[in-house]
Amino acid sequence: MGGFDWGAIWYAAPYMAKGALVTLQISACAMALATAIGLVLGLISVSDLNLLKPPVRVYVYFIRGTPALVQIFLVYFALPRIGLELSAFWSGVVALAFNSAGFIAEIVRAGLQSIDSGQSEAAFSIGMTVRQSILFILLPQSLRRITPPLTNEVITLVKTSSLLSVISIFELTRSAQVIIAERFVPFELYFALAVYYLVVITLLSWCSEYIEARLA
Amino acid sequence: MTAARLNADGGGAPLLSIRRLSKIFDEVPVVDRVDLEMTQGEIVMVIGPSGAGKSTLLRCINRIEVPSEGEVLLEGINMAGEMRNGKLVADPPKAAARKRRRIGMVFQRFNLFAHLTALDNVAIGPHRVLGTKLTDARALAAEQLARVRLSDHVMKRPAQLSGGQQQRVAIARAMAMRPALMLFDEPTSALDPELVGEVLEVIRSLAEGGMTMIVVTHEMQFAREVGTRVLFMDSGRVLLDAPPDGFFASQHARAREFLRRVHAFSAA
Repeated sequence: MGGFDWGAIWYAAPYMAKGALVTLQISACAMALATAIGLVLGLISVSDLNLLKPPVRVYVYFIRGTPALVQIFLVYFALPRIGLELSAFWSGVVALAFNSAGFIAEIVRAGLQSIDSGQSEAAFSIGMTVRQSILFILLPQSLRRITPPLTNEVITLVKTSSLLSVISIFELTRSAQVIIAERFVPFELYFALAVYYLVVITLLSWCSEYIEARLA
Repeated sequence: MTAARLNADGGGAPLLSIRRLSKIFDEVPVVDRVDLEMTQGEIVMVIGPSGAGKSTLLRCINRIEVPSEGEVLLEGINMAGEMRNGKLVADPPKAAARKRRRIGMVFQRFNLFAHLTALDNVAIGPHRVLGTKLTDARALAAEQLARVRLSDHVMKRPAQLSGGQQQRVAIARAMAMRPALMLFDEPTSALDPELVGEVLEVIRSLAEGGMTMIVVTHEMQFAREVGTRVLFMDSGRVLLDAPPDGFFASQHARAREFLRRVHAFSAA
């Protein structure tokens, strides 16, 4: 294999394994936070809390309409200004979570609204309030419909986390870039990087399929 | 509850009182100035061509649809709100939901909660709405399901039940809330013909038990046998309000025309 230095991949492996671990940690934390925020925003979107709906719309509008990279910089530079001194790691978690929550809010809203209106009518007919009908009737039924788009969102989040290399978090992409700068082997390491991401995302997809099957 | 007792003692006080109820969609009055008074134990059959406003009338009574005009009083209580200083103040959502408990509804398409077993479909109302302990709510649900002869199917999901069985679960679900009034919105129209009888039997037994009910139906034989009154509706208006025998012998032109079509259809 002519001019390729595949040995660099072995050399980089311990660093990239560490980077992969950080990527997983950030993604897991961000996803947990994003799911919680997104679920609440999605529930508000279909609820009778009319005062809270416009802010949610504005939030979703902003998240969808601006690049994740810009959002990451905004969080990273804005939080210290308002007195929140977070480490780069937690800034990254917050930025990713805010980004993802906007999309999850829409997934949850669409999931809840996709349930046949007869279900809410039946819930009202036995005296349930709008909130009870959402929690006890619509949400349980929409969980299974929400799972596949939520998996997409997890995958997107893991891939978006590569942008956190710009705020010098030593995650997977950053770990590869450090070795590239040291050994000047960009192709080999970006190739390896792609494989690392594929492995991580394959594992996540399996988890999701398992969950979806359990919810069936 | 107290109001119901007052009615029983007071004699003749209406259980349900509807005054000039209208529902207007896009300037079209789907329900047009309907008046109706019902006493305890009355069984009103609502009959009429499709698009007559029968379903919308029912949905306005329990406010799944908000009426455009007019008022609905159940046991003397205005379903829309409270009178304060001579003005009607609309109920906050919680109070509206609380009033709605007193009215049970059975839908054409059953609308059973798809994620719950038959037992929990019936138990969820008493449990979540009335605050009954889950074990007690399930015991009550089992009792209600036994009444509609579904004791062998309590652990099945709606998708595992026939249409007739689903509709009987839906009736048990409504009855578990101990309503003062039951609304049936074409309860057998979505059923295969051989399943209609079992559902009508259950409704008939409720009627014999003294339940006050309004039934929108196309089952003329059933309306005649079980109803104490027949309302004939067309274009949003109640055109006739008569005892069954009076209605089926009526000389009213639109009613005659409707019955002729229904009979031509069932004879075919």
